[in-house]
Amino acid sequence: MSAEVETVADKQATAGALLRVSSQKISRLMDLVGELSLSVSETVNSPDLDHTGDRTQFEAAAHRLNMIVREVQDAATELRLVPVDEVFKRLKRMIREMERQTGKRITLEVNGADTAIDKMVADRLYDPLLHVLRNSADHGLEQTEERIAVGKPEKGVITLSAAQVGSEVQIVVGDDGRGLNREKILGIARKRGLYGPDEEPTNSKLWKVIFEPGFSTAEKVSNLSGRGVGMDVLNTTMRDLRGRIAVDSTEGVGTQVSLHIPVSLAFLDCILLRQGTHLFAVPVEDIFEIVKPDAESCMSISAGSRSEMLRLRESHVPVCRLEHFYGDTLPDLAPLSDTVVIVLKAGSRLIAVPVDEVLDRQQVVMKPLSGVLAQVRASWGCALLGTGEVALVLDAERLAAGER
Amino acid sequence: MTKDQAMLAEAENLLHDDDNIDNMYLTFAIGDETYGVPIAVVTEIVGMQRIMTVPDVPRYIKGVINLRGKVIPLMDVRLRFKLEERAYDDRTVIIVLELSGSPVGLIVDRVSEVLEIADDHIDSARGMGGGESQGLVQGLGRVGENVAIILNSEMLVSDVELSMPEAVSA
Repeated sequence: MSAEVETVADKQATAGALLRVSSQKISRLMDLVGELSLSVSETVNSPDLDHTGDRTQFEAAAHRLNMIVREVQDAATELRLVPVDEVFKRLKRMIREMERQTGKRITLEVNGADTAIDKMVADRLYDPLLHVLRNSADHGLEQTEERIAVGKPEKGVITLSAAQVGSEVQIVVGDDGRGLNREKILGIARKRGLYGPDEEPTNSKLWKVIFEPGFSTAEKVSNLSGRGVGMDVLNTTMRDLRGRIAVDSTEGVGTQVSLHIPVSLAFLDCILLRQGTHLFAVPVEDIFEIVKPDAESCMSISAGSRSEMLRLRESHVPVCRLEHFYGDTLPDLAPLSDTVVIVLKAGSRLIAVPVDEVLDRQQVVMKPLSGVLAQVRASWGCALLGTGEVALVLDAERLAAGER
Repeated sequence: MTKDQAMLAEAENLLHDDDNIDNMYLTFAIGDETYGVPIAVVTEIVGMQRIMTVPDVPRYIKGVINLRGKVIPLMDVRLRFKLEERAYDDRTVIIVLELSGSPVGLIVDRVSEVLEIADDHIDSARGMGGGESQGLVQGLGRVGENVAIILNSEMLVSDVELSMPEAVSA
């Protein structure tokens, strides 16, 4: 997606050419475009087509049609893109409030405010970003005296920047404060049983615990943050938006929290899988590797709840059987070596999901699960396939969390 | 008639229409029994089509269909009522309902007709036995000699385990 959002200058120059369109109308158009692309691929792949004769003309026309559909898809997606500045502007207004409440002096620097993002995503970003920002102001930045003592400028700096990287938007909230305290965080993480007393996780792994629900190192709970509730909002939103969170911190220099979010929620690049009678789809960015295991790389552990492991070069990856997870009654499981195993990235971990068949890679239209389908676990939603079929889009992280 | 009068008459007609819809029921058959759902919740009726299975749903949810780009979960009403399963035939249809903002398709043996049943022709299902406090059966509609069992359609999709009131299943 090479979407450019018009800048203010553009808007003024072409003021007469701008239209205000309700978001419902655009959603309707998006739905129709989705249906159009499905119908086209249904037509082009129709089993009624004669496959014997010379189909050069047809193939060429079908190819052109597909190209056009893809372009219409992109153009329609672009309609819903807005500059991330919409959110940033609202956040800017909160800075003075934070200065008042913390008694710290803060400068907010904003970069990449014209980065384009799906309006639906933008609308949901405010609350989580506000929490990250509050955390930076409250825990990240030092009090003025402390800053002067360590030779930092009196005014703390919080940077809010956005940039598009591939099909993702990265939003980074950084501060030039005291940074995360490894000892303190590791101490609490151990106390809460997240790490054993001898475990020494790498920094990038350890920092993630600050997003655990209820995790707070703040000695006193302030008005702004420290209750550990804000991070829940962040986690929930990021999960809904299919985003990822990363933290980078250097003691004494500052902390950066970055949110990686897909630019658009409308279309999803997926690999399609078949397991038994069910069809599943997995977003390509969640796939670590697809392997055809041989007998040596499969290991089953009878102790406990009869779990399986897959050896992947030097490491062992826990196997998550979809049949088990979803409680389908299947007495005999196919031996691992008879399946194709999709190794999925579930946060910082990997899980191995055996399936009967890997089918295809497709751009799918995703629909939320509603009504009686809302209870289906570990899924982002339903994917409508070009063939008219429906597949369940798997959420690797929730799949991994649910196994135990 | 002046323009205003015409508008008034039209408005009244519309109101009247609404009243009518409230008393209209789409009836369908499950075995020998006739059931009815308020026509207001019915979106459309479609023939049986290819069902795609979905994991993690109760047994009576047979899967989903893709109806012009909409994913519609299908409930086999026989299974929901804990009756024995029956192979689908050319009279089996799917009645698509919109319940609490979400679509659901009911697989029924066959559709019958749309009936108008006035409220005073519907006997309350209260005290009909069966342990369920919030009943699935809203009432019994008398239509001439016959009786249509009016369903409380919201209950169909609720999580509550169903036990059919004995008076009905007998």
